[in-house]
Amino acid sequence: MNLVFTVMIIASLIMIIVVSPESAFSIMISGASSALKLAFTLIAIYAIWLSVLGLMEGIGLNKAMNKLFRPITKRLFKGESDLALEYITLNFSANLLGMGGAATPLGIKAMECMEDGSDKATDNMILFMVINSTSIQLIPATIIGLRAAAGSNAASDIILPSLIATVISTVTGVILAKVFAFITKKERKKDSVVLPKAPLFAKIKSRGKA
Amino acid sequence: MSKYILPVFIGLVILAAFIKKVPVYDNFVKGSKESISLILSIFPYICAVLIAVELFSLSGLNSYLAKIMSPVLTFLGIPDELCELLIIRPLSGNGSLALLEGIYKTHGVDSYVSRCASVIVGASETVFYVGTVYFSTTKVKRLRYAIPISLVACYVGAIMACLICRIM
Repeated sequence: MNLVFTVMIIASLIMIIVVSPESAFSIMISGASSALKLAFTLIAIYAIWLSVLGLMEGIGLNKAMNKLFRPITKRLFKGESDLALEYITLNFSANLLGMGGAATPLGIKAMECMEDGSDKATDNMILFMVINSTSIQLIPATIIGLRAAAGSNAASDIILPSLIATVISTVTGVILAKVFAFITKKERKKDSVVLPKAPLFAKIKSRGKA
Repeated sequence: MSKYILPVFIGLVILAAFIKKVPVYDNFVKGSKESISLILSIFPYICAVLIAVELFSLSGLNSYLAKIMSPVLTFLGIPDELCELLIIRPLSGNGSLALLEGIYKTHGVDSYVSRCASVIVGASETVFYVGTVYFSTTKVKRLRYAIPISLVACYVGAIMACLICRIM
């Protein structure tokens, strides 16, 4: 993230210095203030969803949903606690129904349950992020709204193509994540065998595996 | 139909909570409180990302990169006009919606290009936003292979989107 961020900012700044140096600072401020605006909107959205979520926990709805999806989630996210699976299930359901505002706080909670305390993301955390970033929405309501507003004859025609594209990208993501998890696990095992004379290094490796 | 899902769902949850004697008001107070602390931990991440994204899209670097990438995209069956959108999509949700509206205006909302663009935006997410926000309250600093894989998966989705729009 540090590398991506730095490269992006430096490259953009060089471009701005060449084209219009006086606008650099105002662009940065406008970025920060749109973050501020977004944060205020998100406080409102999350306030409602975290409240509804609290009620769902109160009536046991999350446990019931977890039971329903457990066969799938348990297989995808091996070795995670029930609480983590509960949040994962709720996050996926919110995403499927297009409730992005509800999905984010749930996703954050799921990540908190899955973390192992190290500074490296675990394979399950990565899989979870990949599924979330390929979108698993059933009906892209925002886009349909935009198309209708732009005067489309068949605004909802994109539902089926979107669904197919989403399924393909999500499946691709899951397969890639699983393959990478497998490869890195193998490599880490190999490392700890190949480097028996470096106990400190091996210790760090094996801690990362846990 | 889908406009009823949200209010009916929330209504049913509140009703069920009332029947099960779960304190509804207390839960809303608690939820709102949690929301503020959640945003406090997320905000630094969104702020940093949005500064970079704003610089990237307003500096003109975005359209410059789009020009460089267009031969590759044409090879993959993605129309030239969608280059900028493909670059901005993983970075900024609002940015890509703005570009999408621009594409509707220049090409007509029911054109092939516009439909492709709609499906690409509808079938992907803001990868960098998910990557920063979801990990924001954990100790994780190294995302390992998370972002490359997410990007590849999204772009496979985009290529498929253009293919599907051509058939359907």
